[in-house]
Amino acid sequence: MAYRTHVSIIADILLTAKEYSYEGRDNGATVTNLIRRANVPYQRLSSIVSQLTRSGLLQTIPDNSTKYRISDKGIEFLNAYTDFKDFAENFGLKV
Amino acid sequence: MDLLGLSISAFIGRFAFSGYSSIGSPTLLRLTFAFCAIAVGFAILLGSLFAGSEQYYRLMLTVGLGFQAIGYFFIAFSHSLKSFDFVRRPKGYHMSFFFAPLVTAFIIPGNSIEHLIRSISFILLVYVSIETMASYMQTRKTSTLLLGSGLGLLATSELMAWYNFIFPGSIFYYIAISIKVAGFAMIFIPFSRFGMKSGLGRVNPQVGSGI
Repeated sequence: MAYRTHVSIIADILLTAKEYSYEGRDNGATVTNLIRRANVPYQRLSSIVSQLTRSGLLQTIPDNSTKYRISDKGIEFLNAYTDFKDFAENFGLKV
Repeated sequence: MDLLGLSISAFIGRFAFSGYSSIGSPTLLRLTFAFCAIAVGFAILLGSLFAGSEQYYRLMLTVGLGFQAIGYFFIAFSHSLKSFDFVRRPKGYHMSFFFAPLVTAFIIPGNSIEHLIRSISFILLVYVSIETMASYMQTRKTSTLLLGSGLGLLATSELMAWYNFIFPGSIFYYIAISIKVAGFAMIFIPFSRFGMKSGLGRVNPQVGSGI
């Protein structure tokens, strides 16, 4: 499997949370959903998720703290990620 | 021509910095360092035109080229991090990097700092150009092709400028500057699209804060 950067793993997590927040599945993504998509071990995922929650990119569902949904700030991050991913790929680099 | 190079590299550096402040990617930080160093180099080269004496002119020229070489180094460094898997290599593999200076000693002149820096820039640019072209082979993106060609032109310009060392006062120097600006123009084309789309990278710098 190709080497993935920390930022690209974060983007995968946010993208999964986005899919579970806005595309007809408005109940949020579970840790299992995030692990499947991001393909990282549980311990690493929990540290990233708590980091993302602290910085306001992810938020827990009010009535269920084990499910996550993307915040507006997270969507803004994903848009910026897509733009700058293209920018770096022009150089043949990964963000 | 130095002014044109300065504006293009400053534009790309500004865009890379806005990317770094938005998503916190170390690759974008390295690109910021790279293009800022290249822009500073161009600014010093521009300033050298107003130097009072020949001695100061030579000094500023050398310092300016040094900054540009640092910029090229950061781009090459980013590529090397991507291409070489430093974690999974067998023991002793890293020692091979210590032999690199021995190889360059045969091709770098030791009697002129200016030309020594040009030689280093040439080697770095050829490496970066080849890496970018290799990426083009995989992605087939036109912008990557333009960028690889632009970097190749920059390498050619360093080679031409180096020929000025052998034939001083010849037309090679002017050819080198023209090729350099053409190279930067080719690098600029893909990025002008990003600049238009994002308003020179005016993404909210607080987006990725804390990551």
